Amino acid sequence: MMQSFFEWMQGLPFSAWMLEETWASPIIQCAHLVALVGFAGAVLVVDMRLLGRGLIKTPLNQLARELDRWMIWSFVALFVTGAPQVLSTALKQYYSPFFWWKMQIIVIGLLFNFTIRRRVAFAKEGTLGHWPKVVGFLSIGIWTSVSVYARLIGLLS
Amino acid sequence: MRSLFEWVDALPSSIALRESLNAYPTMLTIHVVSMCLFAGLIAYWDMRLVGLTLKKVPVSNIPTRLFPWALTGYGINLITGGLLLYSQPMRYYGNFYFWAKMALMLVAGINMFWFHYATYKSVQAWDQGREIPLNARLAGVVSLVLWAAVVVTGRMMAYSGLMPGWWNNLNIGA
Repeated sequence: MMQSFFEWMQGLPFSAWMLEETWASPIIQCAHLVALVGFAGAVLVVDMRLLGRGLIKTPLNQLARELDRWMIWSFVALFVTGAPQVLSTALKQYYSPFFWWKMQIIVIGLLFNFTIRRRVAFAKEGTLGHWPKVVGFLSIGIWTSVSVYARLIGLLS
Repeated sequence: MRSLFEWVDALPSSIALRESLNAYPTMLTIHVVSMCLFAGLIAYWDMRLVGLTLKKVPVSNIPTRLFPWALTGYGINLITGGLLLYSQPMRYYGNFYFWAKMALMLVAGINMFWFHYATYKSVQAWDQGREIPLNARLAGVVSLVLWAAVVVTGRMMAYSGLMPGWWNNLNIGA
């Protein structure tokens, strides 16, 4: 069932257009990478603060609230530029284990961010013991894994 | 310059790196992750200068607290980038986007030093305020554009078939 869905995606006229249009894939991949930088920066500034590093003179919840929208909009940009790449190379993605690991970790990352990380980052500082450090460490680990698997789809599939 | 690239290309260690199955994916993956660390932090520093975000954070806090991490990312990026070049020098020698990326990095570096040694000296006067001097805002915009262009040209290096016609006519890689 999942395979036929990916075959359907691969067969869409848009997917064919993406593959035939010389500049479509490079432009979308470049935009994806720029969005990744925006996302990584927004995540890292807050995660480093959770770890007790970086901008420690600024209250954590203030930093987290300010960068939350940058993180969300960068993720939207990553999705908008990532989806056409999946559509145009759907079968390559389907047969790549890195693609599935990436997707699983993205789901875990989103759930983790909108439940635990956000709650810890928005909480009053000094009330959660060592949890902010654990959360910051996990968040960096999750999103680094996503970047690594994303890169390996193109290199080892 | 060409003979230097050819000389490196023929070195046993360059050949060994080029022929290794794991070296290229490992180096490129670390290159991308360290780019996220460096460019991600620099992007928010630039956006602070432009006045797009982190407006309540004193400007001088960012270089002292974030730059050591950004520079660590940059160092790893330079090492992995250097190794990628060392492993396939002749692949990059004729690549327009490689030279464009190098030129953009040079200009971005000049912009950074110019800002640090000229505009940033007066930071105490505008550290806390929301009004950033025009020179600082301009440096932020220029830096954002240049580093984005470095990322884009870096990605475009994989598209050796999409180089400008005038570059192809120079026959540099032939």
